Amino acid sequence: MDPAAVRMVATVIVALIVSVAGVVAGAWWAPFVAGLVIGVMQPRARFAIPVGAAIGLIGWALPLAGLQLQYGAGSAATSLAAIMGFGHQAAIPAILTCLVGLLLGLTGAWLGSAARTLLSPLPPFRGEG
Amino acid sequence: MTLDPAIDTPAKRPTSVRGPRVATDRPTKGPRRARSALNAIAALIVTAAVLYAAFFGAGPLPALGPAFNPVTGAWTMAADASISSETLHLVGLDQPVRVTFESDGTAHIVAQTDHDLFLATGYVHARFRLFQMDLLRRQGEGRLSEVVGKAALDSDRFELQLGLLRTAQLEWNAASPRSREAGLAYAQGVNDRITEAEAAHQLPAMFTLLGYQPKPWAPIDSLIVKGDMTQTLNFTDTPLVMALLEKSLGADLTSQWFPILPPNPQSPYDPGPYPAQAPPAPIAAVSQVSNSEAVAAADVYQRLSSLPAGLVATGGDSNNWAVAGSRSTSGGALMAGDPHLHLTLPAIWYQLTMDSPGYHVSGVSIPGTPVILIGHNQHISWSLTDAQNQQTFFYLEHEDSAHPGQYLWNGAWKSYQTVSYDIPVLGGPTDHLTVKLSVHGPVITERGQTTSVWWAGNIPSQDLDVLMGIDQASDYQQFRDALRGWYSPTHNFVYADDKGNIGLISAGYYPQLGAGAQPWLPMAGTGENDVKGTIPYDDIPQVYNPPDGIIWSANQRQVTAGYPYYIGTASNFFDPGYRANEIHRVLSQGTKLSAADMMALQTDTRDYLASEMVPILLKAIPNSPSRDLLASWDYRMEINSPAATIWWTFWQSYLAATFDPYWKSRDVKVARSELNDALGQDLEAWTLGDPTNSAFTYGGSSNTSSDVMRIAFTSTISTLTKQLGSDPNTWTWGRVHQRVIENLAQVTGLNYGPRPDRGDANTPLAAPNFPSSNGPSWRMVVDWGAGTFEAIYPGGQSENPASAWYDDRVNTWFDGKYAAMLTADQASGASGSTAWTLQP
Repeated sequence: MDPAAVRMVATVIVALIVSVAGVVAGAWWAPFVAGLVIGVMQPRARFAIPVGAAIGLIGWALPLAGLQLQYGAGSAATSLAAIMGFGHQAAIPAILTCLVGLLLGLTGAWLGSAARTLLSPLPPFRGEG
Repeated sequence: MTLDPAIDTPAKRPTSVRGPRVATDRPTKGPRRARSALNAIAALIVTAAVLYAAFFGAGPLPALGPAFNPVTGAWTMAADASISSETLHLVGLDQPVRVTFESDGTAHIVAQTDHDLFLATGYVHARFRLFQMDLLRRQGEGRLSEVVGKAALDSDRFELQLGLLRTAQLEWNAASPRSREAGLAYAQGVNDRITEAEAAHQLPAMFTLLGYQPKPWAPIDSLIVKGDMTQTLNFTDTPLVMALLEKSLGADLTSQWFPILPPNPQSPYDPGPYPAQAPPAPIAAVSQVSNSEAVAAADVYQRLSSLPAGLVATGGDSNNWAVAGSRSTSGGALMAGDPHLHLTLPAIWYQLTMDSPGYHVSGVSIPGTPVILIGHNQHISWSLTDAQNQQTFFYLEHEDSAHPGQYLWNGAWKSYQTVSYDIPVLGGPTDHLTVKLSVHGPVITERGQTTSVWWAGNIPSQDLDVLMGIDQASDYQQFRDALRGWYSPTHNFVYADDKGNIGLISAGYYPQLGAGAQPWLPMAGTGENDVKGTIPYDDIPQVYNPPDGIIWSANQRQVTAGYPYYIGTASNFFDPGYRANEIHRVLSQGTKLSAADMMALQTDTRDYLASEMVPILLKAIPNSPSRDLLASWDYRMEINSPAATIWWTFWQSYLAATFDPYWKSRDVKVARSELNDALGQDLEAWTLGDPTNSAFTYGGSSNTSSDVMRIAFTSTISTLTKQLGSDPNTWTWGRVHQRVIENLAQVTGLNYGPRPDRGDANTPLAAPNFPSSNGPSWRMVVDWGAGTFEAIYPGGQSENPASAWYDDRVNTWFDGKYAAMLTADQASGASGSTAWTLQP
């Protein structure tokens, strides 16, 4: 396997762990940081941004799933929906929660990737230089 | 996703191509840089938006990051809802404490020292009601705007002006060693929970959603919570209303229609004998409200009217009674109590038992306070209703431009004291408030005429110490002695004990004014009308072991016309007396009574006023299907009763047909419906005994009560036909009368109901308004002979909406059922119980 690919896979795994652990520890913004790192390190935006989004989504969805398994989150979801004005649509808070995680990871990766592109020297075109 | 093609293929290494330079469609460096910059800007903007929403929220959304974090955000209500047996460590405990929870969450605290009992009570309260406690103290301290924004600013300004905070500070400074120790221990317990919850990221979800953390609890906060209740029950605006009525309706009609003594037949529980002195003189029909006084009254009245419900007392709806052992089937005393309050989720009550060397008491407490307010111990039981005597007076301060910043009092010019407050406002600038204080109390308006308010709730009192004394009392003498220090709100404390004794005492402060004062109106503040003291304790309304073996109160005037002291007018603000009359009617029927009879009476829907008026109405109206329904009616306001709907609508129409012409022609600024209780007493009395009263002859007609009844009944049928259809049999009460139990944080999605419900404002099972959100907040029935204690409240022990204990008692309450009040030992052995061990 290409060492660069290995490094990338390792980076993604570490980012995922940091993301989940951060959220569990109360650092809800950890997926953003993880996405940012992925974006900066991964030169291909087409790869970095979806991966960042996935890391964010998993970072928030996994603890939510753990909550569901440990205590049952249905009643809390229904209550949150009521508080937010969505009646008893329990799915909405769950979707919103996952969406927040996804957006944090996605924007982190996008920003990192954009910064990388902006700050790194452009490759020369054919014939240039 | 990306705007720059270079980003999609940024890593392609340029291949070396030999040969001539050829034209290419790849962008040149300039545009590529521009697109990269554009992409970066777009990423920055979107990221900033997402992070802003995540950190600070957007519009109605809270800060999304901390609020929805599955581990530390609002989702933690799922974990918080799970209660299991465990050992917890609390700072400040002296000895281990055991807390047992029944399957419905009723808590039983068993401590080895009194100090630990209060500490554990604070911890348990905070564990299940911390947000409610914080709201209650914020309301009284004028700090709601800090967390909800400027929408609460009027409430905060009013509270700081009125002075709950100032009074609580004075009370704490004068607290007895016993109440000081309890307050400190309770605060420690609350703070133990706050610390624990913050460390575990398990603060109640509403803190997370509103984005703030509770400050540490202080003993003074408990006094503020007590002050909230005092204000809700006893701060009234009726002198302002009387001033506006006198200015618009006229002095003659105001004095006739709003007298001191109730015009209708009532059932006072204390018939005397009274001290030998002359009763107060009736209200004289002399106009004395000047234009500037009317402006001031209107200003304060409007301001108070615009405040959130509950800050001004608007009436009372509570019942309690007792039956001596000689009148009960068990041979022991019976006692029943159901205080009627705004019904909320979470409820105002938290049910628990408190056991320690000094206390063995069971009942309900108000979260935020360390004592049980209603309940029983090993020897006595008690409950309370609001006594309704006048405890609020308005004074018109005499000022002069030659004496700026001063007012004339007892012949000398005095300077106002001032107190300044800063009110933090979420999302806005801090509000600065300066409160002026005269000898009478805070200045509440300077429009028209500077007006200050004297309120008994501002007299520093030791009510917590009184309640601790009640909790420990073992006979009537100790109970009565403990109540000697109770000031406000004045309550009718009903009593029964294990020896078959019963009693009722309307404990509290009964302000007595100088001779000639007219306290039903705003009064001159120059000294002659000041409060001189209170009625001597031995002379306040009370009875002990009456000969007929029954006592009862339902916010009615407690005494007859012969009582020699002024305690308020019929409209300020005693109940019209229908519930008291009905309770008295049932209790005095001569049969032996049981606990089941007490429960049946607490949930009785017989409308006493209807039982008086409908027979007269039937004589006044021609035959019709609607009349037939009324003729066969048992006067019970049941969900499936069409007659109940017809009666209630008729009574409103009758009031309107009689009084609205006066209101319209004289442009009365007080809504007539607000005065229905007082006007209803007049209308009842006239219909029963004065059918040709001149009130029926507005505009020169020769109408009698029968004529106006016919007009009102015709209007009733027309209204109901339009509203409910043409078939009177379908006009069931449940179609128009519903009950809702409102979420305390005003989240309508977390309300219970509305659902059709029985009762009305006049029935023992009180259900005023449409939909009704007030009513029996706690029902308790005690049978000392059988040794049974049963109770229920409409709500649940937890404020957490995800908890099974959020509203699990509501259906039981709706069904009129009760749950046994267990001892700690009984609870330990009950199925489904869990237990905490609290360790130092």
